[in-house]
Amino acid sequence: MTSASMPSIQSRGQQRSFWQRSAVRRNLTAYLFILPFVVLFAVFNIGPFFWALWLSLLRGDLVAPVKPFVGLQNYGSLTTDAITLQVFKNSIQYTVSVVPITVCTGLALAFLIGNKLVRFKDFFRAVVFFPLLASAAATAQIWSYILAPRYGVLTYLLGLVGFPEIYWLSDPNIALYGILLVEWWRGIGFHIILFLAAMLGVPEELHEAARIDGATAWQVAIRVTIPLMRPVILFSVVMGTIWAFQLFDTVFVLTNGGPVHSTATIVWYIYNHAFRYGQVGMAAAMGVVLLLIIMPISFVQMRVLGER
Amino acid sequence: MSHNRLHRWRKIANILPKAALLYALLALLVIVMLGPYLYIFASSFKETYTLISIPPRLLPEQFVWDNYTYILGELPFNTWFINTILVAVLVTIGTVLIDALAAYAFAKKQFWGRDLLFGLMLATIMIPGALLLIPTFLITNQLGLLNSYGGLIIPALANVLGVFLLRQFMQTLPVELEHAARIDGCSEFGVFWRIIMPLSMPALATLSIVVFTAQWNNLVWPLVVINNKSLYTLPLGLALLRSEFQVNYGITSAAAFLSVVPLIVVFVFLQRYFLEGLTVGAMKG
Repeated sequence: MTSASMPSIQSRGQQRSFWQRSAVRRNLTAYLFILPFVVLFAVFNIGPFFWALWLSLLRGDLVAPVKPFVGLQNYGSLTTDAITLQVFKNSIQYTVSVVPITVCTGLALAFLIGNKLVRFKDFFRAVVFFPLLASAAATAQIWSYILAPRYGVLTYLLGLVGFPEIYWLSDPNIALYGILLVEWWRGIGFHIILFLAAMLGVPEELHEAARIDGATAWQVAIRVTIPLMRPVILFSVVMGTIWAFQLFDTVFVLTNGGPVHSTATIVWYIYNHAFRYGQVGMAAAMGVVLLLIIMPISFVQMRVLGER
Repeated sequence: MSHNRLHRWRKIANILPKAALLYALLALLVIVMLGPYLYIFASSFKETYTLISIPPRLLPEQFVWDNYTYILGELPFNTWFINTILVAVLVTIGTVLIDALAAYAFAKKQFWGRDLLFGLMLATIMIPGALLLIPTFLITNQLGLLNSYGGLIIPALANVLGVFLLRQFMQTLPVELEHAARIDGCSEFGVFWRIIMPLSMPALATLSIVVFTAQWNNLVWPLVVINNKSLYTLPLGLALLRSEFQVNYGITSAAAFLSVVPLIVVFVFLQRYFLEGLTVGAMKG
C-alpha cells in the first residue's frame, strides 16, 4: 500500500489495523522530519517567489507601501528606459565575452596541468583553487590596487612590454573588461578543476589507440579527449553563463556600475532600484526578466546534472 | 645494452624541451594565481608613500604594522570578524541539521506529497537570488529581523541543494542498518541521529564546507539587511571600506588578507571536501 492512499485510511476512522496505524504514524514522523525545512522553504523561497511576481506588477517603494497596481507597465518601461537598455547590453556583452574566454583558457590550463609529463598535479590543483577562497569583496579590494592607474602593478608590468597606460576601471570602454579580468581570476579555478577531473577520467587506452593510429598529441586532444569531455564542458558553459548574468559583487565594489553605467549589470540594477532609488516595481520586473533569461539555461543545467 | 641506453637518452633529450616549456608555463600560472595574494600581503606592511610609489615596489621599503593597528584599532574589524564567524558557524550548523532531517525523510520514507514537494524544490533551483532579494527583505522586515543576527542567519537556513546532496548520499545507505536499530528498540529520531548521521559524515562535511564558505563570503544579503556598523560581516565591511579609504591600499590590503586567512587555513586541512563541494556549490543559481 502506497502513501498515496493515506486519506482513505483516515476516513475509515476506527477500523484501523495495527499495520495501518503504524503507516500513519510513519507518515507523521516523515512530516516531522521535513517540517523545519518546509517552513523555511515556504517562507524564504516559495513565498518570496510569488511575492516578487506580484511586486513586478505594482509601483511602490520599500518604505511607503503605496503600491498601485500598474499591470505590465514596469515591463514596458524596461524596454524603453535608456539605462535598462544599457544594462542589457552590458550583461550580454559581458556574458558572450567571459564565457568563451573562461572555457577556452580553462581547457588549455587543464591540458597543461593534465599533461603526462607534469608531476605534482595535486599541488597545481590546490594553487588554482586559491582564488576561489576569497570573497568577491576581498578579491575586488586586491585587484583595485593591482589595476590602479599609475602606481598599479599591472599597469607597470604592461608598461614594461610597451603597453600604453590602461585605465582598467575608469575608462568607460574598458571598465567591463577590467571587471572581466578580475572575475576570470576569481572563477577560472572552478573550470580548470572540473575539466581536469573529466580529462583524467578519460581511459588511457583510448589515447594509446589514437597514438598508435598515428594521431599527433594535438589531434588526440581535439578528436578524442575533448569530445569525451563534452558533458562537462557543457556544464561549465551553463554555469559560466548563469554566473555571468548574475554578476554583482565585483561590480558593486570596484566600479558601482560606472563610469557612466558602462559596468551596470542586471543585478546591480535590481539592487539599486530596490534599495537606493525606491523603485521596487521596476526592480522586481527586472528580476523576472533575469528569471526568464536564467530559466532555459537552467533546464540545460538540470539535464546535464541528470545525465551524470 | 649500450644501444638501449642511447635510445633512452635520446628519448629524454626529446622530452626535455617540452617539459621545460610546460613547467615554465606552470610557474607563470602559479604566479598569476598566487601573486595577487602575496602582493597584497606584502603591501599590507607598506607605508603610505611606498604604496603609491612609481614605479610600484613589490616589497615594503620599511616594514610597518600601521595598517594592521589601524584596522584592528580604529575600525571594528575584530567585531566584523567575530560576526562573520558567528553567522557562518550558526548558518552551517542550522542548515546541515535542517537539511539532514529533511533529506532523511526524502531518502528513506514514503509520505504523501513527497514527489510533488521534491519537484517543487528542484524547480526553485533556477530562481535567481536577485529576484528573491526584495520580498525576502520585506519578509525579514515584517519579522522584525532587520539589523540583527537573526536577520543574517534565519533566511539563509533553507538550503535546497543541501537536501539534494544529503538525500542522494543517504539513499545509498543500506536499509538493513535501520531495521536492525529499530529491532534493538531505537526510536525514529534515534535511527536518524545514531545510525544515519554518523554514516553520512562525508556528505555532511562537504555540505558544511560549501555552506560555510558561501556564508563567509556572502555580500548581498548583509548589504541589504544590515546598516549598523557593529553588525557588519567581513565582506560587507570590506566592500564599504572602499568608499571610505579610496586610496589607502595598505588598509584595504591588510583587511582583505586577514579576511581570507581563515578560509585558507581550513582549505589546507580539508582540501578534499572543498574539491568535492565545488560542483555542489556551483549549482546554487
